[in-house]
Amino acid sequence: MSSAKLAAGRGKGAGWGLRLGLGYAGVVLLILVVMFPFLWLLQMSFKPDMLIFAWPPVLTFEPTMKHYTDLQGGQFQKSFANSGIISVTSTALSLLIGVPASYVLSRARLGSKGTIALWILATRMAPPIAFTIPFFLAYRQLEWIDTLQGMVLIYMTFNLSLVIWMMRTFFDSIPRVLEEAALIDGASVWGTFRRVILPLSAPGLGATAIFAFLFSWNDFFYALILTRTKAMTAPVAVVNFMNYEGWEWGKIAAGGTMVMLPVVMFSLVVRNYLVRGLTAGAVKG
Amino acid sequence: MAASSGPPASASLRRAVTGSAGGWEARRRREYLYGLWPALIVLAGVTLAPAVYLVVTSLTPLNLTNPQSEWNFRDPLGNYALLVEDARFHNSLLVQAKLSIFTVSFQLLVGLAVAILLNARSRFLEAVRTMFLIPMVLPPIVVAIIWKVLYTPDISPFHMFLNSIGRPMGAMITSPDYAIWSIVIPDVWEWFPFTMLLLLAALQMLPEEPLEAALIDGAGPWQKFVYVVLPLLRPAILVAGLFRLIDSIKAFPLIYILTEGGPGKVTEITNWYAFVQAFNFNYLGFASAITVVMVVATFLLSWGIIRVVGTEVDVE
Repeated sequence: MSSAKLAAGRGKGAGWGLRLGLGYAGVVLLILVVMFPFLWLLQMSFKPDMLIFAWPPVLTFEPTMKHYTDLQGGQFQKSFANSGIISVTSTALSLLIGVPASYVLSRARLGSKGTIALWILATRMAPPIAFTIPFFLAYRQLEWIDTLQGMVLIYMTFNLSLVIWMMRTFFDSIPRVLEEAALIDGASVWGTFRRVILPLSAPGLGATAIFAFLFSWNDFFYALILTRTKAMTAPVAVVNFMNYEGWEWGKIAAGGTMVMLPVVMFSLVVRNYLVRGLTAGAVKG
Repeated sequence: MAASSGPPASASLRRAVTGSAGGWEARRRREYLYGLWPALIVLAGVTLAPAVYLVVTSLTPLNLTNPQSEWNFRDPLGNYALLVEDARFHNSLLVQAKLSIFTVSFQLLVGLAVAILLNARSRFLEAVRTMFLIPMVLPPIVVAIIWKVLYTPDISPFHMFLNSIGRPMGAMITSPDYAIWSIVIPDVWEWFPFTMLLLLAALQMLPEEPLEAALIDGAGPWQKFVYVVLPLLRPAILVAGLFRLIDSIKAFPLIYILTEGGPGKVTEITNWYAFVQAFNFNYLGFASAITVVMVVATFLLSWGIIRVVGTEVDVE
């Protein structure tokens, strides 16, 4: 009986190996299918114009940087810089005022914690147009339409709640004992925070900063409505390439690649925090 | 919540050190508030104030080309009365419902399938997992551009392939029957990695016992999946679905680049309708009313689902 069982086990082993091989082949195939649209845009951005329309597709071509050099010196380059300035400023400001607040929400005994949590959850759920209409009307009065400061301010609507929520969970995971000792010695709350807590939360701070940057960088809707030319951001500038007769596909692909480049790089850095970042502000207990 | 001031022993120690407990507590509380107020003030300024402004605007017939329509409250509920009879608005709700149901259910299905495929302890699988995340982290506008390329017959490899085998196909984005699917496909492509991540995390935390018990009872792989794994995954599926549902109401870049709500009104979701009324036709008062209805509906829907989900899970 035992030998029969052994044989069955051995048979199962061989079948298992085959299934594993098939499984891996399936996974590789799936990756190719999933990556195809992304890779297609990437190769288009390096393809000479004539070959973009060629069938069967020419995959061994001499890559050209023409589409990228075409982007230089024009509206796109300026918009790319705008995107950087707006995203970095909005991220820095939201960290500056959001991080202390999230520490307070993590540590202090406040009756209103639940209300604040609900409020943040609500801002996350509301569609952007709910903020766009009032901001648009207010900016018309203030003459803030198409200004960098206008964009920085509206990005605070999502960045501030993101920072408060993400950092709060990081602070919650740092044991209180660490700051108790300093507090007992009579140190101030914020002195302790700076010397003890901030250094410990560096990874969380980094991940949060990257998320705030990415959400600002990726925004299309607010920038579409609240900018014209001066403060136009890169996503809007790329889309503008589509509005002319005889679309310049190579240029569109190169612009799209430039816009996604920082995003893909940063995302790989924070991949372990992706779920936390994308669900920040969700229901909790 | 009760633990926020530390264990009782350290509290009494503190009292002994600082002398007066009340003064110490009050000072600490004041210090905390210095850190909280700036954020609350800015948050109120950028979220509460606009929300009030939006509701107030929705009570006026504000039209930017007509100055007399500003701050005109003679018929405060006029916009809402219009909405009740507006067939285009009703159609947008229907399109939204269709789009949400299709995208959320396919994202859950594909996400679950891929999560199961990748759920094994293997160096290879852990390494490739990251590649599946790429669609989700791309800027939404780049996703829209990529699919515009794939849908445009002149340059699309799909269309060129179909032409070369003698079976040309019309452009999906301009077909009344298929336009909605031309939005669903890229949306599922973009967001299945999100449901996959959540479900993969849940799969890896499944308790061993029920699975072993099922194996001992002689359950086949399919039975094990349907009767053991799926019920255990239920909370994660609900949470992932809720997130995607809320985000599906905000869909914009795909529609802006691919179909502009058309052909006709077949891909005109409520968000798009509000955008068109506000920024193409300048009817900001009316668009505000649409937006208010949309926000309230989103909250009610989420509240309902959280009540169902909340009893089962504790997520963050």
